[in-house]
Amino acid sequence: MRQPFGQPSRRSVLAGLGAFGVAASAMPRMAISQDGRVLRVRSYSDLQVLDPAFWVSLPEADIITAIYPPLVAPMPGDVWSWKTVAAKSIEQIDDLTVAFELLDGITFSGGHGKMTAEDVKFSIERIADPDNESPYAGDWSALDQVEVTGELTGLIRLKTPFVPLWTTTLPTPASCIVSKAAFEAAGGQVTTDPVAMSGHYLLTEWVPKQRTVLTRNPDWPGEPGGFEEIHIIPIEDPATAELGFEAGDLDYTWTAVSSLPRLKEDPPAGSVVLEKPSLAYVWLGMNEAVAPFDNPNIRRAVQHAIDRQLVVDAAYYGAAELGNGLVAPGLPGSRDGVTYDYDPDRARELLEQEGATGITVTLDILNQSERLLAAQVIQANLADVGINAEIKQNDSGTFWSLGASDSPDYDTMQMYLQRFSMQPDPSWATVWFTPEQIGVWNWSRFDNARFKELHDMGLVEADETKRDAIYREMQDLMDESGSFVFFTHEVVGVVHSEDIAPGLKPNGEPLLTEFKSA
Amino acid sequence: MLAYFVKRLGLAVIIVSVAMLMLFCMIYAIPGDPAAVALGPRATDAMREALRIKMGLDQPIWVQFWNFFTGAWTGDLGREVLSDRPVLGVVLEQLPFTLALIAGGIIWSVALGIPLGCFAAIRRGSLADRIVGILSVAVIAVPSFVIAIYALLIFAVQLRWLPAIGAGEPGDLGDQLFHLILPSLAVGLGWVGYIARMVRASMLEVLEASHIRTARAFGLPDRQITYRYALTIAVLPTVTLLGVGIGQMLSSAVFAEIVFARPGVGKLVYDAILTRNFPLVTGTVLVTTVLFVMLNLVADLIVGALDPRVRSSF
Repeated sequence: MRQPFGQPSRRSVLAGLGAFGVAASAMPRMAISQDGRVLRVRSYSDLQVLDPAFWVSLPEADIITAIYPPLVAPMPGDVWSWKTVAAKSIEQIDDLTVAFELLDGITFSGGHGKMTAEDVKFSIERIADPDNESPYAGDWSALDQVEVTGELTGLIRLKTPFVPLWTTTLPTPASCIVSKAAFEAAGGQVTTDPVAMSGHYLLTEWVPKQRTVLTRNPDWPGEPGGFEEIHIIPIEDPATAELGFEAGDLDYTWTAVSSLPRLKEDPPAGSVVLEKPSLAYVWLGMNEAVAPFDNPNIRRAVQHAIDRQLVVDAAYYGAAELGNGLVAPGLPGSRDGVTYDYDPDRARELLEQEGATGITVTLDILNQSERLLAAQVIQANLADVGINAEIKQNDSGTFWSLGASDSPDYDTMQMYLQRFSMQPDPSWATVWFTPEQIGVWNWSRFDNARFKELHDMGLVEADETKRDAIYREMQDLMDESGSFVFFTHEVVGVVHSEDIAPGLKPNGEPLLTEFKSA
Repeated sequence: MLAYFVKRLGLAVIIVSVAMLMLFCMIYAIPGDPAAVALGPRATDAMREALRIKMGLDQPIWVQFWNFFTGAWTGDLGREVLSDRPVLGVVLEQLPFTLALIAGGIIWSVALGIPLGCFAAIRRGSLADRIVGILSVAVIAVPSFVIAIYALLIFAVQLRWLPAIGAGEPGDLGDQLFHLILPSLAVGLGWVGYIARMVRASMLEVLEASHIRTARAFGLPDRQITYRYALTIAVLPTVTLLGVGIGQMLSSAVFAEIVFARPGVGKLVYDAILTRNFPLVTGTVLVTTVLFVMLNLVADLIVGALDPRVRSSF
């Protein structure tokens, strides 16, 4: 790791003093990436764990897939599909077997030799092994074993069919290949000092809280990375990142949804503004275990009381579309509508019937501007039918623990406004609402045996039409419970310099190895 | 003087110990399970429990405090939750950025505040004096984050004279100073007003002093009287004011580091609180507390060395 301040020389001291003097009269600054050598991208957090089995945040996953090549990776573009990276070829032979052959000539840095099928076996089985306690063990929950059949060939054997394998397991860090010898020598895990890299890029510098530098790997046997260097700059606040882009300090960033209309209307000079459909889902949840929402009629009254379109328009400044469930358009199970409608008269009727007119409830939200705007519209809608909603804003640390069984709020939280992101398979969304997730992420304590049965069926059902029906029925069950009001899948705003051609997944997430000069 | 030093040092140790106790209590009063926040949604109960044990959260609270207290006095502030790096190293890595920001803020405030205060005092009652007075109050009243955002919009986004984000190329002092201009202006501008007001008031008092009248009677040039004899005395209270101001500049630095996406202890502790990275929160706050107490100790010792009345009154 490099020292943040480095060793200043006399020359650099003089240069620094000179910089103060000329700053006010300096010419407008030129972007350093205009020669096409350096790409500067924003990430929303600094790195902590660069291990395919233990990464924490998406920016880490982006780096991991650039330095430890996955067998396959998402294809850039507007349709969810995949392409081979470390694999020369890979195919599903039958429901339980996937055969692969590695690209010849992939070598690990630091003299750790050539990548072989033994490394694939090690990399996948260390994630699946329950003893290693990888948070991503679920990605390989159906794995039986990886069988090595040759130096570069092998078979991934499954215990049961597993449909999400090709959407949310293989094209993710769960298929990134690390060096068995190097990881074992490093004690089995790495954090911020990756060992034996072999991807399109090598991590050559990390200055904490300042930047991570990836340098093109000259030994990568496939198509080389598009830039000599990628500088990844951690900027948590999207507004700061947008200003950084407008000032010419970044080549790519994603934007706050609320900034999208302004940026589309008046894009910064020399930039391209993109709007991508998100896979996230935003909903209002009610806690079935806590009064007054232990009464299904009061939950249904809330469903009828809320004008979902108005909430979405107000919170996202018209940039986001109305959503109708957990599953985003384009994926199996996506619905065209919900089973309840905006009917304040019906809501008043239900409340009167239950003697609940004039009740006061709390609504917990994360302290973000979009959530607050949405909550205020919900509050107004509920007030209109006779429910007083008090909005409780929480910082992220508090908010994300609210529904956990050991949280002091577990038995008092009534309503919450929530947003989850997901991978391009509906099982990634439904898994959080199964009975096992009560006390973990199923904050509504929605307990439905049929829902669980359908979730398990969806994991093994390969027929697209049947899968579509399964996930539609699951969301209908959620509607029926009265505990959920679905709002939107949001949109992702991206702004990039016209000097680059970004490699993006369909939902706008970056694929660093796919960025090129325009 | 030795007795005075020992007493002051003892007081500093007590202050740091009390600060540690308060810090520990505040940290553990924050709601939210640190293990759940750190590990994210996909962690199992077993993983969360393992992390709680690793963080020592399974121990009785008094044991946790004792471990923290004894560890801190031996320089062991624990390890970061996920990356497992030593907390002291992480904090010391970020500290130079914040110190540079505060130093830059002091330079801005002194470089603008003293001449403005001096100018206003010399032209007492004039339009220029009134304008300086209004400007001084205005910059005191405007929060540093507002200054930061406007400075960024004007000089970085519109004019593109200065960089908007980051701390500059590591190892390139020139670039680092270039990246320091706007954030340090945001941190220091509020203090321009304080210093200008202080210098003006002090100058007016000194200009009425008998030695200045004597100098005038001897026919010394006004410039020499003002800058050589009056200002050197009038500027002394400013030094004391800046000593107190360092603490406030530390809090302004948090905003500047977030708005300008700069590294530093302010941003470090902000991120650590959001992610419930307790060892990092306690370590960062403790290091800055010790730093502040030490600076005040040094200031007290200097004042004590210069003024025997202070030593004897303690």
